[in-house]
Formats: sequence, C-alpha cells, structure tokens
Amino acid sequence: MKRIGKYWAIFKTQILNTLAYPGELAWRSLSIILFLWVFANLWRVTYRAEGSGTLNGISLKDMLWYLMLAETIELGKPRLARVMADAVKDGSVAYLLNKPYHFILYHLSTGMGESLVRGSMTALFGGAIVWLMMGPPPDPRGWPLAAAGVLGAWLLHFCVNALIGLAAFVSEEVAPYEWIYQKLAFILGGLFIPLDLYPLWLQNIARYLPFAYMLYGPARLFIAPDIGLFLNVLGGQIFWLAVLGGLLFFFYSRGMRRLAINGG
Amino acid sequence: MTAIVVRELTKNFQTKRKAAGLGASLRALYRPEYHTVEAVRGISFQMEAGELLGFIGPNGAGKSTTIKILTGILYPTSGQVSVLGYTPWTQRRQLAYHIGTVFGQRPQLWYHLPAIDTFSLFGKIYELDDREVKKRIQFLAEAFEIRDLLETPVRKLSLGQRMRCEIAASLLHRPSLLLLDEPSIGLDVVAKQQIRDTIRQMNEVEKVGVLLTSHDAGDLEALCKRVIIINHGQIVYEDKVSTLKRRHLTTKDVGVRYAAEIAPDFKIPGAETIKVGKYGAKLRFDTRQTPVETILSRLAAAGAVADITISDPSLEDVIATIYQQATPQQSEVGEN
Repeated sequence: MKRIGKYWAIFKTQILNTLAYPGELAWRSLSIILFLWVFANLWRVTYRAEGSGTLNGISLKDMLWYLMLAETIELGKPRLARVMADAVKDGSVAYLLNKPYHFILYHLSTGMGESLVRGSMTALFGGAIVWLMMGPPPDPRGWPLAAAGVLGAWLLHFCVNALIGLAAFVSEEVAPYEWIYQKLAFILGGLFIPLDLYPLWLQNIARYLPFAYMLYGPARLFIAPDIGLFLNVLGGQIFWLAVLGGLLFFFYSRGMRRLAINGG
Repeated sequence: MTAIVVRELTKNFQTKRKAAGLGASLRALYRPEYHTVEAVRGISFQMEAGELLGFIGPNGAGKSTTIKILTGILYPTSGQVSVLGYTPWTQRRQLAYHIGTVFGQRPQLWYHLPAIDTFSLFGKIYELDDREVKKRIQFLAEAFEIRDLLETPVRKLSLGQRMRCEIAASLLHRPSLLLLDEPSIGLDVVAKQQIRDTIRQMNEVEKVGVLLTSHDAGDLEALCKRVIIINHGQIVYEDKVSTLKRRHLTTKDVGVRYAAEIAPDFKIPGAETIKVGKYGAKLRFDTRQTPVETILSRLAAAGAVADITISDPSLEDVIATIYQQATPQQSEVGEN
C-alpha cells in the first residue's frame, strides 16, 4: 500500500505546488475567455453564412461547448517533455532518479496533479464564458463519460510527452519533436474543428490515429453523450495507452543506459 | 564493514564536436563528428562504513560522474561497483532506501513549497510511518537549526539556509551512507562552517558514512580523515588527510604592499618571489623551513608595509603539484 501511497503523495504535493501562485494561475486561465470569445464570433459568422442552424449535426452552442472541453484538455495536458529535457540539461534529473520510486510513475503523478488544477481552472473560466454567451452546458448525464474521456486523453498526452521527454536522454533538445506532436494533435485531434466537419478521407485517417482519442473523443462525448461513442472512445484510449505506454517503458529502460547528465 | 567497493571503474561519454562557422554547422547536420571523453579512467578504491572520505579534484576531474555511478543514475562503461552490497545501476531503487544524496546547487526540495512539505513527501517516498517522520523532522530541525525555516517557501531561503534544509532532507530516512557532491559550493564562510559542523555531528551521532566531493580544501581539512584526489579521471592521491597536509599543504602565499616603491629585484630570504610590482610583491614560502613570524619580520624590515595577506595555496595548485610528482595509482596511493 505504501508503494502506491507515495505516488498519491506526489500527486497531492504537485497540486499544492501548482497552487503556489493562485493569482498567476488565474490570470493564465483567463486567456481561455478571450480565446472562446474570438471563436464564438468566428463560428457565428460561419453558421450565418451557411444559413443553417447546424453543421453536420452540431449546433453553434454545442460547437462552443466542444471547443471549451477540447481547450480544457489541451491547456491542462501534462507538459512533461520540456520539464524532462530541462532536468537533463541542468542536471537536476539526478535527484529524480535516485529516489525509491519509478521515474515514469513519478512524472505521471506530478503531470496529473498539474493537469487537474490547470484543467479545472480552464473549465471553470471557459465554462462560465460559454454559458454566458451560449446558454447552459449539455446534458449533465454525459459529464461523467466526458470526465473519464478527459482522464484517458491526459494519460495519452502523458505517454507521448514522456516519450518526447525521454528523447532528451539522448539528444537533450526536444522542442522540434514537441512542436510536431502539438501540431499533429491540433489538426488530427480536432482541437479547433470537430472531426465531423473534416473531409471523409481525413476523418478516416484521423480515427485510426491516437490524436482523435486525445481531444475529439472526449469533447464529442461532452456535447453528445452516447454509450456507443463512450465505448468506442474508451476502447481506442485503452488500445493506444497499451501501445504508447509499452513503448514508454521500453524506451525508458533503454534510455537509462544512454543518459548523460550534465554538470558531472 | 566496507560500504563502497570500486574496481577498475571507467566511464566514457560521446560528445559531438563541431568547428566554428556556418559551414561547419551545416556539415555537422549530415556528418556529425563525435569524440569520446574519458570522464573516469579505471579507478579503484574502498570506503569503510561510517567513514568520512573526501573525494576531491578540480572541475571536470570525474568526481561527480563517479558519485552519479555510485548512486546508480549513470551506467559505467566498465568496472565493478558495490555500494552497501548493491550494484547501483541494476539495484538503484533498492539502494536509494539506504543512501542520501545532495548535489551541490541542484535542489531536491520543492522550490515553491515550504521545506516541511518536501520532508513530509520524502516520508511517504521512503515509506516511513507518519509518527516516525514527525519525530525525525523534530530531531533534524534541532540538529540543523532549521526549525524556524521549515515553514518558509524554499525560494525565500538563503543559499546557506537552503543547503542545511537540503542535507537534513537527505537524512530523513536514516541512510547509512551520505553522498555529498559539492555541498559547500557558493556558501559564505559562516554557512560553510555550519554545514561542516552538522555533517560531522551526524557522522558521530548516527555513524552515517559520508563521501564528500569538493574543490574546497577547507571542507577536506574540516571533515575528512582520508582523502582521494582525482584528476583527469584518475586517482592521483589516496591517503590520510594528515599525511596530505604534512606533505603538501606546507607552503603559504604572501601578498605584500609597501607605502613606497620597491626595487625590481625585491627578494626576501627564505621565500620564493613569484611576482614583483612597483609597490608590492607575491611570495611563496615553506613553513617547515621558514616560520611565518620570520617571514613577517623580514617583510617589515624591508620597508613600511601598507598591506599584507597570507593564504594557503589553492587546492588546484596542490593537485597540480601532486599530479606532477605522482604516477597515477602508484607512488602516492598508500597507507590505507
């Protein structure tokens, strides 16, 4: 029990750490308000130009609630790659490696602690502005399904981030990999536009990649809760977690041999 | 009982090499050149349980790399290591329960939180009972005089205060071996003394063995009974500190400034002239041959002294001397 309890303690300590500057955290979270206001206006114009109340079955209101949840996932996701790269560059990774815990699970605990705080703040501010502009959120019965989807999405983001972070064990600089991953997730994950509005061929490609389960799946569940969709998202997330998680633990054990810590 | 056994330890790093200029940068993209840096070159040594061992050398000598191998966070290129009976790089997590580490200015305390939060977290990480942790924190707070600092965010502590908290945190789980990598770096004289006193106290009270790396000869003199000097990845000296002092820390440097101009061929009997200026000079003398007071009286007799400083030669100078004199792992690896 104590072996698991340490990761819970790390998770809680990271929450305290993230809340150390509440003012700064609130200001940063406020950016979601501006972002959603701009997109609300853009979508209003688009819907007016289309002359229809829905686009591929999605109303303007649902579109904004979709964006709110997708942004909650994106802004709250664990940003581990840079943290790991910085720790390798400045040598502080030495401290993270010589404690009696698993290095990857340590980062999972801190990453999830940070995601919970940042994601909650984004959802709070983002939810408030969308409610004010568009009306109440979708059916609350779908919220637990979406929450489970968000958790799965963050776990997937963690795996990809950690894989990129592990590259720092070899190359130190990970910004290019991070940039490519972020843009792929934006486009193939449907951050700004739900995949339903993509051309069919691109939808088909996106559905076979992990990015759709990192953003689109949970956000779609939020606006259109459906047990069939939930099982599809859950199945996809479990499959990709097994693949990416397996790769992560494999490359971690290989990466340790390649590690060169600076400042030695 | 032996705490550390190191046999023929070697660690090489591959680093990219690139000439200056845009052309070389472009060439390095498709044909990168690597060269091998031999950070540690086949060193062997032992450390007894409860011993205070100094592991010193200049920057880039290989001491931190060795410590990182001893803690299991770096794999060696070759050689054998046993720390408290564990092979560090294959049993890193098991070993971590029994050792404490402090890496110079790289904090292990959570920077934005009060130190007490990290202490409590470490209690969980090392799987200690909550009651035991509370008692231990009380004891360490007294020993390190950090009671009033524990509830202050770490970012607001001075370097000396933070370092005391860092070392205390590394002792929370009662390790039998403490590996300190440059614990006094950047500290003022008072803070250094406090850290040294506390390390010595913990060694005496809890019998915790301490392997200390430093490039400060003061740490060595104040704390260690035995010393290993490493340079360019090789052991160039291994002996008692008292022997090192007797043999090598016997010279002193003197800087003197006079009120009036001095002669260009300024000389003081019993001292070697290193540099002569218009108003002053730098000299070196051997205290075994010429006592300090003799040199002082001779300097005063040579003119009206405006200022004078006496200092020990830097450790780098001592190491350079030892390195010139000794063939690695041969003539000066003795007694112990």
